[in-house]
Formats: sequence, structure tokens, C-alpha cells
Amino acid sequence: MATDRVLLVDDEKDFVEVLAERMSSRGLEVTCATSGREAISAVEEETFDAVLLDLAMPDLDGLETLRRLHEIQPELQVMILSGRATVKTAVEAIRLGATDIFEKPTDVETLVERIRSARAIRIAHEDDMAEEHIEEILRKRGW
Amino acid sequence: MGHDHRRPLQREGVLFFGDVIAGLSHELSNVFNIINEIAGLQEDIVGGAHPKGADAADRLSELAGRIKAQVERGETFNQFLHSLAHSVDDDDIAFDLGDTLDLAGSLAARPARLARVELVVHRPESPVTLVGDPFALLLTIFGLIGVVLDAADSERRVEVSAAPHGNGARLFVTSADPLPPGVVDEVAALETGRLTWGVVHTLDPQPPEAPRRIILDVPAVAPALKATTDEEGQEDPDGN
Repeated sequence: MATDRVLLVDDEKDFVEVLAERMSSRGLEVTCATSGREAISAVEEETFDAVLLDLAMPDLDGLETLRRLHEIQPELQVMILSGRATVKTAVEAIRLGATDIFEKPTDVETLVERIRSARAIRIAHEDDMAEEHIEEILRKRGW
Repeated sequence: MGHDHRRPLQREGVLFFGDVIAGLSHELSNVFNIINEIAGLQEDIVGGAHPKGADAADRLSELAGRIKAQVERGETFNQFLHSLAHSVDDDDIAFDLGDTLDLAGSLAARPARLARVELVVHRPESPVTLVGDPFALLLTIFGLIGVVLDAADSERRVEVSAAPHGNGARLFVTSADPLPPGVVDEVAALETGRLTWGVVHTLDPQPPEAPRRIILDVPAVAPALKATTDEEGQEDPDGN
């Protein structure tokens, strides 16, 4: 069975390291990034089932990172995990395509469960895309 | 009734408090969140949800060390809050400029980190005692640092320093790179220092050359705050 893959993005190195270890021990494959730019590079190079993204980060903040991640991969499941999301930033995050907003501290089991659901959603989305692609081929060839 | 010159200070002071406390609250939340995850990891190790291996005791000890480091970090933020809270205790006292510089630098550390600017604060080599409102001067220095941080490019260095000058002190906020022309207006808009301390801002070099540093001359004793006339120096004839 394939492993669920998650990208953790938070500028607090200790936080991502420890949370990554806890998620890994629950069977997830975790990649860590401590800045928005690192996250963007990671998504350009690898496929993730979900991204857990902090909002307040130096240089590229979470909202700008979210926007750029969706430019690279529009269907990417990005969840916000933030200490102090205001209603305004939460609304903006949802508008930019975030699928969930979690406020720290969030129970690790809740996060793992949600990441596993994200994988199912991604696979279903890929199946839909494949189906559309096959239908397109069949239509073009007149079958 | 004339314009109360305390009003800009009061309004700016409240905004400053809100801004700084929000930042420190965020930093403290980060500390708590890290401790919370470490505690969770310790539970995982003890409870069997984690492959602890033979060196569980060493690992738990290492995690305890991380918790202590975070507690120390949290205590530092708490000290900043304490110093900030007591900076408004007295508006006419003798104080050391170095302490005010240190506090301004500590409070500006988070905005600097978010702007990816390296902020370095140098205390004067010998104590510089000033008499007046330390909070108003803190606000002035913090405002100046903010102007330069906003103007400086990421990955750059901003330095704050001070030295005795005449009977008072001269402060320098220096950017490693030339500051944009807009900084002139930003500095001119910093009213608090001028109104409460009679400070004089100078840009170096002077426009039209792009300035690299802001120089602030602070008197040894702040002139008394006055609630006198309106901004144009005219009394309101209607007495309103």
C-alpha cells in the first residue's frame, strides 16, 4: 500500500521536526520546509497528497505561498495550520483554495486522518482526469 | 480649546502596544505549540505509538532539553512584555538610553525576522543618562527602526547605535543599502519624538542623494509636554 505523502511548512524548525516525527511514526511520509520558497521548490519537484501550511512566515507569507503552490498544482490539497488565523486571513485562505483551516494546537490524529482523506481525494481527482482523458481520445477517434 | 500634543503620542502608543503585544503573543504561542508537540512525542514514545528502540531514555532526555530551551525562550518574551508594560510607569525620570535601545531592538526583532532583515543593536559604549519620558523615546526609536525595516531589502542588515552627543545623545539607524526616496516623508511623519523630546531627524546623506542612515539628536532632558495651541499654533477663536 502506498504511503500518504505530506509537506509540512512552518518557519519554526523545532515545530516541524517534532510534528514530522510524530506523523512519520503513524505511517506518513513527511517532507519539511521552513519557508514558503522551500515549499514551492518541494512541490515543483515532488508529488504530495497534502500540504500543511503555516500563515505567518518571513519573506513569503502563507497566503502568498498558497497562491503560488496552486499556480504550480491547482488541485493540490493545502490545509492551513496556524497559530492565530484571523477571520479575514481564513476567508482569504479559503478563497485561494485552502481545503481546511486548523488552529494550533491541533491533535496529531486529526491531522493524520485529514491527510489520509486528502490522498483519497487526490487519487479520485486523478481518476477523473484519466477518465476525461480517455473519453477525449475516444471522442477524437470516433469510437 | 487648543490641540493636545499628547494625543498623537497616546494614539500612536496604543497602536504600538497592540502591534508589539500581538507579535509577542504570537511568539509565545509558537513556544507553547512546540512544547505541546514535544509532550505529544514523549507520550508517543512512552505509550508505544513510536518505535522507541533501546535508547528511549536518551531520547526522552533530549526532548526534555528541548522543552527547557523553549521555556527559556518563552521567558525572554515574557521579560520583553514586562519591560514594555513598565515603560509607561513614569514620564519624567532619569533612565539609561542603552536599556531603551535594547528594548526597542528586542521588540523589533520579530518584524525584522518577518522582513528577513538582520537587525543589530549596539548599546552606547558608556551609559548615557537621559531625563524625560522613556516610553515616548522607545516609541520614537521603534518607529524609526520600522521605517528603515519597511524600506530595506530582504537579506539586508540594519544597525542601530548611539553615542553621547553634546549634553544628550545621537542615535543612528543605518541600512546596509540606500533607502528609497519615500523614507524622507516617512521620517517627517514621525511626530512623537519631535513633540515629546524635541528630537531632530537628519538623513545622511541628504536628499536628493539616497540616504543610508537616519540620525536622531536627542536632548539630555526632554522639554515638558505642553497642551497649548493647535497644529498651526493658532488658538481656536470659538473656544472649541
